[in-house]
This record gives sequence, C-alpha cells and structure tokens, in this order.
Amino acid sequence: MFERRRFPGRALHDTLTAYAFVGASALIIAVFGLFPVIFTMYVSLFRWRLSRGRFSGLENYLSLFGDNPAYLVALAGSVAGLILAAMLLRAGRQGGSRAGTYGGAGLLAASLIGIAVFLPFLASRGDREVFDALRVTIWYCICTVPPQMAAGLLLAVLLTRSIRGKQAFRVISLLPYIAPTVATAAIFELLFSLRPDSFANQLAGLFGAAPLQWLQEPRGIVALALGRGLPQQSARVVAAYWGEWAQGPSLALASIVFYSWWVFVGYYALVYMTGLGAIPRQIHEAAEVDGAGAVRRFFSITLPLLSPTTYFLSLLGVIGTFKAFTHLYVLRSPAASGTVDPISVMIFFTAFRRGNLGYASAVAVLLFLIVLGLALAQQRTTERSISYGD
Amino acid sequence: MAIEASRRPGRLTAGGAAVLLLLAVGALVCLLPFLFMASTSLKTTGETITKNSPIPVDPGFWPTAPQWGNYARAWTTARFSLYFRNSLIIALLTVAGVTASSSLAAYAFAKIRFVGSRLLFAAFLSTLMIPESVTLVPSFIVITRLGWYDTLAGLTVPFIASAFSIFLLRQFFAQLPNELLESARIDGAGHVRSFLSLALPLSRAPLFTVAFLAFVGSWNSLQWPLVVTRSERWRPITVGLTTFITEAGPQNELRMAGAVIAVLPVVLAYFLAQKQFTEAIARSGIKG
Repeated sequence: MFERRRFPGRALHDTLTAYAFVGASALIIAVFGLFPVIFTMYVSLFRWRLSRGRFSGLENYLSLFGDNPAYLVALAGSVAGLILAAMLLRAGRQGGSRAGTYGGAGLLAASLIGIAVFLPFLASRGDREVFDALRVTIWYCICTVPPQMAAGLLLAVLLTRSIRGKQAFRVISLLPYIAPTVATAAIFELLFSLRPDSFANQLAGLFGAAPLQWLQEPRGIVALALGRGLPQQSARVVAAYWGEWAQGPSLALASIVFYSWWVFVGYYALVYMTGLGAIPRQIHEAAEVDGAGAVRRFFSITLPLLSPTTYFLSLLGVIGTFKAFTHLYVLRSPAASGTVDPISVMIFFTAFRRGNLGYASAVAVLLFLIVLGLALAQQRTTERSISYGD
Repeated sequence: MAIEASRRPGRLTAGGAAVLLLLAVGALVCLLPFLFMASTSLKTTGETITKNSPIPVDPGFWPTAPQWGNYARAWTTARFSLYFRNSLIIALLTVAGVTASSSLAAYAFAKIRFVGSRLLFAAFLSTLMIPESVTLVPSFIVITRLGWYDTLAGLTVPFIASAFSIFLLRQFFAQLPNELLESARIDGAGHVRSFLSLALPLSRAPLFTVAFLAFVGSWNSLQWPLVVTRSERWRPITVGLTTFITEAGPQNELRMAGAVIAVLPVVLAYFLAQKQFTEAIARSGIKG
C-alpha cells in the first residue's frame, strides 16, 4: 500500500500502530461480545444461582430437553434429513437426474413426518416453558416479517410516484421506528386495554364484536374466531401438541404483532425505497416501450431486481424477532400466562427474576444455536437465487 | 430517485388521488398514537379512564382543562428529571466512546495493512448476529466481578465499542484516495496525523451517522439497564418508564407525561436533521 519495501521496519511499525488503533474496540468486543458466547456455555454446565454452585454437567440440558435423549437425537436426525433433502433436490434439479429428485422428495416427506412426530414428544418431556416460548417466537416471526415486508414494499412503490408531501410522509412514517420503544409500547398498552371503551374495543365494536381482553387474552385467535376452544386435552401427545399450534397465536400476541407492524412498516419501506432507487430507469422505460403494463413490470423487473434488499430485510427481520425484547417485555401481561413470552423474555426472567443463571445459560445456548442455524440456512438458500442484476 | 424522474408531477389522476388518500391514512395511523400520548398526558387521572379516544375529532380526545401540572409532577415527584439526566449522561458518554473507538479501528482496517486484520474484522462482524439475550447472563457476571453493578461504568463501558459502526466507517474510509494519505506521509505525517487531520475532517457525514445511531441505541435501550441497575442512582428513563406502573400505581397521565419526556429529545433531533437521519437509518437496522 505505502511501498513498504523501501522502508524496512515499517511493516512492524504499521502493525503496532494498527493494534493501538484497534485496541480499545477489540478489548470491549472481546470481553462483552465474543467471550460471553463461550462463557455462557461454561455457565450452563453449573448450578449457578447468584454465585457459582457445583458443577452439574448436563443437568440443565436434561431439564431443558427431558431425560430421554432419544427424542432429541431423533429430532436432530429429522432436521439433518431436511437439509440433506434440500441438497438432493437442488442437485436433482441442476443435474436433471430423476433419482435425485425422487430421493429428495421422499427424504423430505420422511423428515417432515419425523419432525411432526418427534417434536411433540420432545416438548412433552422437556421444559414446557421453553417450548411454549419457542412457539411464541415462531408465531411472532411468521406474523410480523412477511406482512411487514409486503406492506413496506407496497408503500415504497407508491412513494416512487412523485407526490406532493412525499418527504413529509417519509419522515412521519419513520416516527414510530425512531421513538423510544418503552414510550410507544406504553401508549399501545392504553390503546389495547381491556376496558370496554378502550380504542381497540371501540374499533372491534364497529365490526360488531363484543369487548375483548386484547393484551390480557391468553386464548388463541383461531380458537376465539371459532367461538370455542379447540379440543385441547388429548391423550395423544402428537395430537395435543399440534392442537395447541392450531389455536393460533394468542390474541395478546396478536395485539403485540399490531404494534410491531406500526413500528416497522415505515422502516421496511425506507429500505425498499433505497433499493428501488438503485434500479436503472432505462430498464423500466424499455419494458414500457415493449408494451409491458405496470403490474407486469413490477413482477418481472422490480421484484427480481429488489431481491438483495428482500434478502437483507428477511435476514434482519427473522434474526431480529429472535433478538426482540423491549416491546415484548413492556407489553407482556401476567394474565396472558406465557402466551406472549418469547425465548428472549423467558431467558431474562429465568436469570434475573428467578436467579437461575445456569439454566438461563442453557436456554441461551439453545437460542444461539437456533440463530446460527437460521443465519446459515438463509445464507445457503438465498445466495443462489438472488439476482444482483449487474 | 430513478423512476419518479420519468413522470411529470402536478397532474392528479384518479389513481394518484387514491394513492394520496392511502398515504394520508397511513400518516394518520403513524401520528395518532403520539397525539393520544400528548392528550392523555394533560388529563386528570379520572379522565384517562373515562375519556380515552385517540381520535382528535372525538370529544373524548380532549382533556376538559389541560393539566400542565402533570409535567411538573412527572418531572419532580415521579423523578423523571433524574432519569432524564441519567439517560443523557449515559447516551453522551456512549456516543463519545463509540465515535472515538470506532473511527480509530475503522481507519486501521481501511488504511493500514497489518497482520491479522482480516481475522479480527471477521470476528468483530460475527458479534452482530448474536442476540443480546445470549450474552446477557455472562456479561452480567463479568460486570459484577468487575464491581460495576449499579454504576455508570456498568451502563456505558460495554457499549463504547460497536462492530457495526466500525463496519460503516470502514466502508467510508476505504474510499478515501490512498494518494492523499501517501503525500501526507512524504511530508512526514504518521498514521496518527493522517487520521486526525485528513480522515476525520473528511468524514463528517458518516461520523454523524455513527453518533446518531449510538445515541438512539443508548437512549432506547432497556434490557441491559434493567439487569445492571438496582437503585435510582443511574436508572435511565427507559427503566423509569417501565417500572413506573409497579412503583407509582396506575397514574396513566404521569406515565404519558414521562413518555413525552422520553420521546422528545429523539424526535426533536430527528425533525431538525431529518435528511441525515433517514439516510442513517436506511443504512442500518438500529432496532432488532
């Protein structure tokens, strides 16, 4: 870079200077960013209350997953089968080999059945609270990320038209995102209160609905919509487990999802607008000359060329739901009895309200592995289908 | 933006009117909760229960007589003055620390060739993916071992370095022409001089972005302060607002006054420099 060869000794000098420059950041990031990941694995092997207790080996993991490791192994095998099936299917499609495609499809079906059977058994033997928290996290992810991306994209496309007051709208739509979460969540707590004359209940009244409990309602929205609880108590482990899924997210969680939409749609729109701005106008003009309508242009030009933005937002969104804490903590109500506590809130309560640092660390290790797996999977599945549209 | 240039502004078609209407409704949805917060903060405790419409055309939106005294009560009795000051000190220290440490590190990664730079940079970036919940317990143990529980150091030191800020600034520093730095070197300037008198003055905009993100991140943070504070001494405004209900009872008007106090600095700053802010946010995700 700076013709190092003419200055012997400069390489050493440069390296020392660089480490002096990087030193402060490296120290902090090492102590509070990297070391904790190792340390949390260490803590998870102890009975660790307020101070370190005795070494307990895998005891925390046994109470997490139950005392029968066979179910965990079977579930892990099913997930591995799923990954293998995806690889086979891709190879089959690319190589055009029938065997790969059929084998992949068969393995895919078998893996899905494996997960459908072994997950309920694992959940029934393991810590119910953790598996409930995982279900909350997954519901929250499904109900927030795709709708927010769709609404954000729609807004962004609308805002590419030149409209008076566009900048004003852009600024206003980001306001919910920029304002402190604790404050805006406190506002929503009032709006979605269970009082019959609360805003949410008046709104529901317009549609002829009776007053609802909103943030305090532990029953699932599907069960509520059907007007009765789905058969919950089933002797069959598998049926009982998937029956709980079938109730849908609780109305309390759905209320938090509304809040999330309110906060994030503006942000997603802003990022999509940046992506739209990078699409060359000439492509649209050429297609227009060729007679492509607005809808056609959207699906054949805009959407494919936006795929890097979509990838970025989906990665950020999915991992973000596993990281989310603040609004879920503020909006949680004890009355919703665990149907709104995602894994992050569960870790917090286990560690700092019940003082069980060892067990919280074991759950944290599980969360870390899940996020790591998601990041790798997302990277794998999207890197080939993204069009960077050189 | 590329597409808008092809259309001529001014003509209002039926489709355009529909879009305008949709956006107006959207803007209203964004704003109404804030208006509701402001109106509730001026009501009496009774009115917060009986009159709770968030729609300004509804008489239930307006307090009979605005209770400006609520703010004085929130500020003094509910101690939001203390929490506000604490948050401000914590945020300013964090901003100073992050801007200094990140610009130094980013300069080294962008402009100095040194052994282990790639590995170190990759290690930094890998921390961006790790949820705070994973590092919460071990970081708490580290803080207590250092004797920083319930202190200002415990609230700030873990956040005075930011992998994301380093990443942002490195992108920018890398674009600075090497010839510029090289000619400075021939004149006898070392890396420290080049950094202070060339790189920093040329990168006001990205430094502003980093400072803003650090401020908002610190001002809005809740989980870590909940874990490492116990007394009121360094309790930030986010924790003050969250513990308000349990400690002061259901006085919604005071809580909303506290919310206004928490929202104001961020929103005022945002309106004053909206352009830089929207760009800063577009470049990053500051909320999880």
